Amino acid sequence: MTPAAVLAATPMSTGEMWVFIPLGILALVGALGMVAARNAVHSALFLVLTMLCLGVFYIVQSGPFLGVAQIIVYTGAIMMLFLFVLMLVGRDASDSLIETLRGQRVAAILLGVGFAGLVCVGLGRALAGTTAKGLAEANSAHGGNVQGLASLLFTRYVFAFEVTSALLITAAVGAMLLAHIERRKGERPTQPEQMRARFAPGNYPAPKAGPGVYATSDSVATAGLLPDGTLAARSIPEILPPRELTSSETAPKGTDR
Amino acid sequence: MSLSAYVPIIALFALAAAFALFSVGVSQIVGPKRYNRAKLEAYECGIEPSPQPVGGGRFPIKFYLTAMLFIIFDIEIIFLYPWAVTFDALGLFGFVEMILFITTVFIAYAYVWRRGGLEWD
Amino acid sequence: MNDLKLPAIDYAALAPMLILFGVACLGVLVEAAVPRARRGLVQVPLGLLGLVAALVFVIAEAGTRKRTAGEAIAIDGPALFLQGAIIVLGVVALLLIAERSLEPGGPFVAQPARPVGSEADRSQAAGEGGATEAYPLVMFALAGMLLFVAANDLLTMFVALEVFSLPLYLLCALARRRRLLSQEAALKYFLLGAYASAFFLFGIALIYGYAGAITFSRIHQAVTAGTGSGVLLFAGLALLAIGLLFKAAAAPFHVWTPDVYQGAPTPITSLMAACTKTAAFGALLRVLYVGFPGATWDFRPIIGVIAILTMLVGAVLAVTQTDMKRLLAYSSIANAGYLLVGVLAMTPEGVSSTLFYLVAYGFTVIAAFAVVTLVRDADGEATHLSRWAGLGRRSPLFAGVFTFLLLAFAGIPLTSGFTSKFAVFGAAFGGGQVWLVVAGVVTSMLLAFPYLRVVVMMWLSEPGESTPSVSVPGAFTSAALVIGVLVTLLLGVLPGPLLDLTTRAGDFVR
Repeated sequence: MTPAAVLAATPMSTGEMWVFIPLGILALVGALGMVAARNAVHSALFLVLTMLCLGVFYIVQSGPFLGVAQIIVYTGAIMMLFLFVLMLVGRDASDSLIETLRGQRVAAILLGVGFAGLVCVGLGRALAGTTAKGLAEANSAHGGNVQGLASLLFTRYVFAFEVTSALLITAAVGAMLLAHIERRKGERPTQPEQMRARFAPGNYPAPKAGPGVYATSDSVATAGLLPDGTLAARSIPEILPPRELTSSETAPKGTDR
Repeated sequence: MSLSAYVPIIALFALAAAFALFSVGVSQIVGPKRYNRAKLEAYECGIEPSPQPVGGGRFPIKFYLTAMLFIIFDIEIIFLYPWAVTFDALGLFGFVEMILFITTVFIAYAYVWRRGGLEWD
Repeated sequence: MNDLKLPAIDYAALAPMLILFGVACLGVLVEAAVPRARRGLVQVPLGLLGLVAALVFVIAEAGTRKRTAGEAIAIDGPALFLQGAIIVLGVVALLLIAERSLEPGGPFVAQPARPVGSEADRSQAAGEGGATEAYPLVMFALAGMLLFVAANDLLTMFVALEVFSLPLYLLCALARRRRLLSQEAALKYFLLGAYASAFFLFGIALIYGYAGAITFSRIHQAVTAGTGSGVLLFAGLALLAIGLLFKAAAAPFHVWTPDVYQGAPTPITSLMAACTKTAAFGALLRVLYVGFPGATWDFRPIIGVIAILTMLVGAVLAVTQTDMKRLLAYSSIANAGYLLVGVLAMTPEGVSSTLFYLVAYGFTVIAAFAVVTLVRDADGEATHLSRWAGLGRRSPLFAGVFTFLLLAFAGIPLTSGFTSKFAVFGAAFGGGQVWLVVAGVVTSMLLAFPYLRVVVMMWLSEPGESTPSVSVPGAFTSAALVIGVLVTLLLGVLPGPLLDLTTRAGDFVR
């Protein structure tokens, strides 16, 4: 059965179809891009694209709460966490392309495609004769999608719902354990200690000088000049490599034209 | 489901996109063009972009902790929404359930707060 | 809008879970409020008291057979028995976790966030008190396991799966020594575990598509009626089984086990080997016996093949191991295979023999890991097999105890290993699964080899320069060791009472 035939056989409003076709393609592009992108940040952004498309699908399929939750929690919060983690590792750190296991990449692609094919063909055949029931009935039973969800969440699945808080506590404790170094008493310098250290011999108590501002350059990476004409190393941030402007950069910029 | 409820939103999206495209396109066509090197720099006002910091701009892990805590309470809020919508139908037991849930998640907050997870030194 | 009603909740039947969740939350509050030096002093009694209180409620509810909390939870014979087993095994594992005399500061690192090898890390390795967050995490894990074996629908089961998995992932990363290995173990466990959870979730979706419900009784009705697509049923059941067999460490979903068992702090390894296995098999029993007995003829050959593969992989790879913790990990994989043999009997004897096996194996494995924590040198535990050579001369008592435990693993008569293997093989034979019994007996003989090799090495080699000393165990480890060894002996000599109990506890409610 071709995808077009599946689409034709499924009762679907035209609006739904016109949302599904472009966004379905976009979601696939996002998923493939996420796997294929070399740069980890691009991968994460591709994933955002896929998740946004899925959120719209949920809304189109009469599940507005799930769709909005998908966009707020996944694309909003969890993807932000992803990006943070990527920034922790360093945005330039890309995967090494050396395979530790020979043939692993090929095997992974083959198995992945095989599994996807198995699931698609299996589900396609299993669902071929099914007519979609939709959520209209379930949504109208309690006066709306969110109300219907609430009626299950707070009655039938109330225990599972309350137990979810245990997951949230575990997550908080875990994040603290693995990411937070507690400063013990005595490890944190007191105010008098800080003052003594500030005026100790060898330290420079005054604020540091700002970077140089010249007719040809005002970058924060350009050091200021001391009275004797030498560059003040202290005037630029330590993490920025000091920079000399190239001759093409100092050349006239042609603004008079 | 009929998607007619979303038509105004889609129309607004379309309008916004059309306006953005229109503005960019029109300025390309009718705007005067006098290029020089200063115009092509990142900041036309003359500030030069700084070079990449050493280490590729890595973030301290504190950001991760903050993001994680945000997600935890974000998920809590997601559960609050259906409760708020059905508050009348749920009655007292729903209120008790939600208070119980919030209190339990608040334990996590108390822990993080007391152990200095919210401090940024 | 029609008014919603709270479903009837039998709080007494849920009390064990509620108590453990409450104790875990209290534990987190203790972490927040009590000064650092006194946290351990509060946490250990709190945890033990909570477990005992939960056990009291389990015993008081022993006759209960009902579904409660909107049919989300089934309190029946196997659920109560397994809850009791998890609690008792949890107490023994908690004793190992609480031990502080073997190593200054206990088995956990003080601040896991400190980078490995940094100045601060070297100073904390010297004896700074370990992270006491481990106690509430263990409580959360145990509470999740109690819910896991009692869940009556797939959604509750999934939430319970996550609730007990997440703390375990964290606990694996907290080892005081060899921290990189420990963190690697935690990461592997987490990634593969998340993957297995995803499979489980996908399975739930397909089963929902098949049966239109996620409650086991409704799934059973749908399977018996035979309407609906077979593809959905089998694919769904297969994906569910992958999720559960991953936690149970059955081949080919076992690859995480040796690495995680080796890297995790040894007390946590014992907790995982005993309690996680009990919980995973409890859930597997419920899924197969309550939800899908109508599909027995379809899943039995496939899970049977998995059982044989598991026994083979465990037995064969155990022979090649050079690390004691990895050896015990492969032994635990092989034991998952024997447990599957009991499960696949699909008779009431199958349930009762599996329950018996879980308890017997749990106590033995905790005691074995307790001995592993004792054999140590200046760098912590000496787990390499060559280091154990000649241990019998240096410390006959502990070498003797360990020999006894290994003989129990090997299934020698007069140990619990023999009676439990006999029970599962007998049940499988009664259920007509002769092929599984044959495979079980053959692999048991194979598996005896690595155990006997260790025994021979301990007693017949001369102790060398590098043979570590056996530390004198503190009160907690001694208690855990004595309990484990006594139960192993008792269930071997006098298995009657527990066998009776498992027979009486074998009835599921649907």
